[in-house]
Amino acid sequence: MATAQLTRVSAPTPATQRPGPIRRHGWTYVYLAPFAILTSVFVIYPIFASLGYTLYEWDGLGEPTDFIGLRNFADVAADEFFWSSFRHAAMYTLVLVPVQLVLALALALVLNNPKLRGSTFYRAIYFLPAVTSVAIVGIVLKLMLSNFSDVLSRPLMAVGLTDQPLDFLGNPDTALWAVIVIGIWNTLGYNMVYFLAGLQTIPKEQYEAAQIDGAGKIARFVHVTVPGLRGVGVVIVFLAIIGSLQVFDLVMVLTGGGPYFATEVVNTYIYHQAFGGSIGSGGSAEPNVGYASAASFFFGIILLVLTLGQMWAIKVMRARKAARA
Amino acid sequence: MPESRHLSRRGFLAGALATSALAACGTSKKSTSPGKGAELTHWDQMVSQEPWIKKEIELFQAARPDIVVKRTQQASGDLEKLLDLAWRGGNAPDVFKVPSDKLDDYVEEGRVLALDKYATLEWQKTFPAYSFVEGVNAINGKVYGAPFDGEAPWVQLYVNNKVFKDAGLVEADGTVKIPKTWDEVTLFAEQIVRKGNGSVHGIGFGNSAFAMIPWWMELFTAGAGYPGSVPPGFPGGLDPRTGKFTRSTDRVVSDFLTLFLEWKTKGFIVPNALSVDDEISRQHFARGKFGMIVGGVWNQPGWTELGFTDYSVTTLITPEAQQKSFFYHGPGKYSLAISASTKSPDQAWEWFKWYHGLDAGSRWVQELKGGLSSHPEANDPSKIDFAPFAAYVGMAKLILPGPSPALRNPATANVVPKKITPDFDAITTGLYTGQIKDLSGALAKLAEEQERVFTEALDKAKKKGHKVSLDDYVFADWDLTKPYKWDIPEYIGAK
Amino acid sequence: MKVTRHILLLGFGLAYVYPFLWALGSSLKTPMDFLDSGLSLIPAEMRWENYAKAWDQASFGTYFVNTLVISLVTVVFTLLLTAMAGYALARHTFPGRKTLLFVIGATFLLPHGYTIIPVFDIVKALGLLDTIWSVILVQVGGGLVFGTFMFMAYFQAMPKELEEAARVDGAGYNTLFFRVILPLSRPMAATLGLFTFIGSWNNFFLPLVFTLGKPELRTLGVGLYAFTSQTSTNWTLLCAAAIISLAPIVVVFVVAQRYVVDAIAGAVKA
Repeated sequence: MATAQLTRVSAPTPATQRPGPIRRHGWTYVYLAPFAILTSVFVIYPIFASLGYTLYEWDGLGEPTDFIGLRNFADVAADEFFWSSFRHAAMYTLVLVPVQLVLALALALVLNNPKLRGSTFYRAIYFLPAVTSVAIVGIVLKLMLSNFSDVLSRPLMAVGLTDQPLDFLGNPDTALWAVIVIGIWNTLGYNMVYFLAGLQTIPKEQYEAAQIDGAGKIARFVHVTVPGLRGVGVVIVFLAIIGSLQVFDLVMVLTGGGPYFATEVVNTYIYHQAFGGSIGSGGSAEPNVGYASAASFFFGIILLVLTLGQMWAIKVMRARKAARA
Repeated sequence: MPESRHLSRRGFLAGALATSALAACGTSKKSTSPGKGAELTHWDQMVSQEPWIKKEIELFQAARPDIVVKRTQQASGDLEKLLDLAWRGGNAPDVFKVPSDKLDDYVEEGRVLALDKYATLEWQKTFPAYSFVEGVNAINGKVYGAPFDGEAPWVQLYVNNKVFKDAGLVEADGTVKIPKTWDEVTLFAEQIVRKGNGSVHGIGFGNSAFAMIPWWMELFTAGAGYPGSVPPGFPGGLDPRTGKFTRSTDRVVSDFLTLFLEWKTKGFIVPNALSVDDEISRQHFARGKFGMIVGGVWNQPGWTELGFTDYSVTTLITPEAQQKSFFYHGPGKYSLAISASTKSPDQAWEWFKWYHGLDAGSRWVQELKGGLSSHPEANDPSKIDFAPFAAYVGMAKLILPGPSPALRNPATANVVPKKITPDFDAITTGLYTGQIKDLSGALAKLAEEQERVFTEALDKAKKKGHKVSLDDYVFADWDLTKPYKWDIPEYIGAK
Repeated sequence: MKVTRHILLLGFGLAYVYPFLWALGSSLKTPMDFLDSGLSLIPAEMRWENYAKAWDQASFGTYFVNTLVISLVTVVFTLLLTAMAGYALARHTFPGRKTLLFVIGATFLLPHGYTIIPVFDIVKALGLLDTIWSVILVQVGGGLVFGTFMFMAYFQAMPKELEEAARVDGAGYNTLFFRVILPLSRPMAATLGLFTFIGSWNNFFLPLVFTLGKPELRTLGVGLYAFTSQTSTNWTLLCAAAIISLAPIVVVFVVAQRYVVDAIAGAVKA
């Protein structure tokens, strides 16, 4: 991660004449201990404890007994519905992340202006969708879109984009797009606030210095704002990608993954496997928690590989750049 | 169709099945005699039936001031998960609603109290014959549950009277015409659309939360001389008369789906059927946006609440005028169970008995209009002051006893086929959106899958030592027009 | 120019919050009015009693205090622990740091699918079932990775001059953290605190699961969830319930916002 390099600069002096690492870094370990312990107990251990389920055919009741080895993983990899849900999640992410980040940054830049009157009010407005639980936001949006799609389609029909009312969430051609737009709307506020917090870490002096050097607005943005946001920016991008790939609640509330899998993403696929019943089916078939866990891990491994590959690529590119310079 | 025979999760929630569980952390006294007081914890998932359960608890506590029933309502989709966790945490409720199909698992896990001490023959006889059945609500000769709901066709076709009248669909005497055949539904829908100038549709449904097309399917095929509705316990797609997986590929299935798609193409169906869910479409129906909807009896209280009562109800729409088959049910049912870990079994039993009793059942039918009671005396249409609900109660004659694999061989409970993707529900949606083009191909592939997962499940059960075979599911002697004669004792323990 | 900007911000903002305004309007409609009035915001007649009914049905009265206590305690612990860990990771190198960073990254990617059973077993072993502490502990435990990550990035981007000056003045590890670093991290603390508060306020699953035996400890999220999972949903009451549960968070947001602004002002002066 880009952040690692920054820290190296602030590393304490070499350790040759100092005592052993535990004593030398005593307070560092103390500061990390509660974090490390609680995370191990409530995040990492449960992940590994549930890893065992992937090797069983198990309906979630009592303890798993039907050991089937790695067959769940093989079945996941061979399931076309898993891969189509993967494509939908990827599509959701590829569209949502860049659009949302650009909008959030633009909004943050406008609202960061200390001379802007009522900026608190505007911030509250744009943050509002993010504070409500997704279940509620989703229900309201769904009510509006499905109940009154005829009203909403009128402007589209007026400009000739469509000749009949669109059933946004019920039409397989539009459903995923509708979900993406709502997704952008829903969490934009979060990224806006992150960017606002990030903008505040950039010292005013840097802007002043740039201005004295004769840098214009755009130059100041490129040479001061962008580098200043890099630390937080990397984190925001990373979180936005992970969050989008793992989108669940919003899809569940809006479409349940339908119509006919048109908006099924990986996490709704996993849910449907874990609790039986596909989109809208009664779920009289047995839930398969083992299979769902395997799908879940399989997906995690894909993400891990993709991320590591990305980091490696960045590293290689940097090294080349450095070599050239 | 198999999947739809069981109501969707939300359908359950809706209260198709009566629900209630009582759970109690008893008092500190280890064992209490029948006369002593106790606090019982009770879990159920009743929402629209809440007024009834609250009143029953009040009445019960007035009759037994020494017993306190502490009720917790759990969201029905979570009930099973939460019960599992409660057992894990050692704080299971004393009395609880058993999620569907889970009683045998719970008995095996030792969670449920055997009622043999309480469920005497005398008490059993307050219920009709075949209410207590080995393999359903009794295991190894011990009773664990009792039926609460009565049997009635679980889907109905509702007609908005005003929409029909506006379209001129009235008999000579001024009452609205009630469709009986596929053709009539088509004709009526067409007329409604024609007279409605595009603002009123003939047919509506809401497919978003769960697939509704299979509900239409069952209502329109159950009377076609084909087991469009099968009793519980049969694997998806199996025709119990032959033991072959032909239910999904039967001619009547593709005929109906073709007709349904025709309705769509001709513009008879509301355009937003795939993005609204059932609840919303029910409200649109009440607002007269379309003329016909399929749903369960739980639709009725919601409409009453909205102030909408001007509708008629029917069921079993047949391809031709002649009705050649019925809805079918198996013997025995269950609702509540008492926890094996309760500290106050006697008090829990008192509440269990009250809940499943005739008086509570009568109030369920006549006051709440929540559905039918397992006590036939409670289901008297003449005591019901609301025509559509009385009509529903009168439909009880359209459901007949059907064969049941669990009766013949209780070990069949161990045969649990895996989920198929896409299942019938998904396929109907895919056909409707046009994502699936080849109707018969999709159904043929489904039938193959249904056979495959069933054979797998059978083999797996055999490997675990259960004596099961395909023959347990074949009832060559089943005459669809007659009540199936069950070869079991009328009551458990009766000679 | 100024006016145009405000017009744009307001117009776009209005569209942005339209669903909420619609929910607000709907919360005062009758069920029939709701179905007939389409996307209009104004009820035909005001039904204030919707709010009283929603309040009762979702048991908001009973759950309000639980929710407030759980959310506030969760925020305090999350902020303190993540700021400490984030600081240690951002400003110090030590053996094991790289491994720790890798593990943090990996836990983001690994799905947290079916982990409720192991977590439940741990809470049971700690004897905390059916207490609000179980909810707090699990929420704090689950949120530390995210918060630490955020604080780490924030501290890394922060100029080091102040810290170095303080270190030259002889400030120790703790003095440096509590006197210099922590006050400087107010914008991030406000941001993260806000998010944690929102998450905790809206959470329904953990409060539901860990208070199974004592439903009186449930939170607003559970009440609201029960509302959305009903069969014949009364949409107007649902809208009213949503508005009620939304109101406190909006207040928190506005307050936290001011805090952020103050914090910046303070930082600039210093």
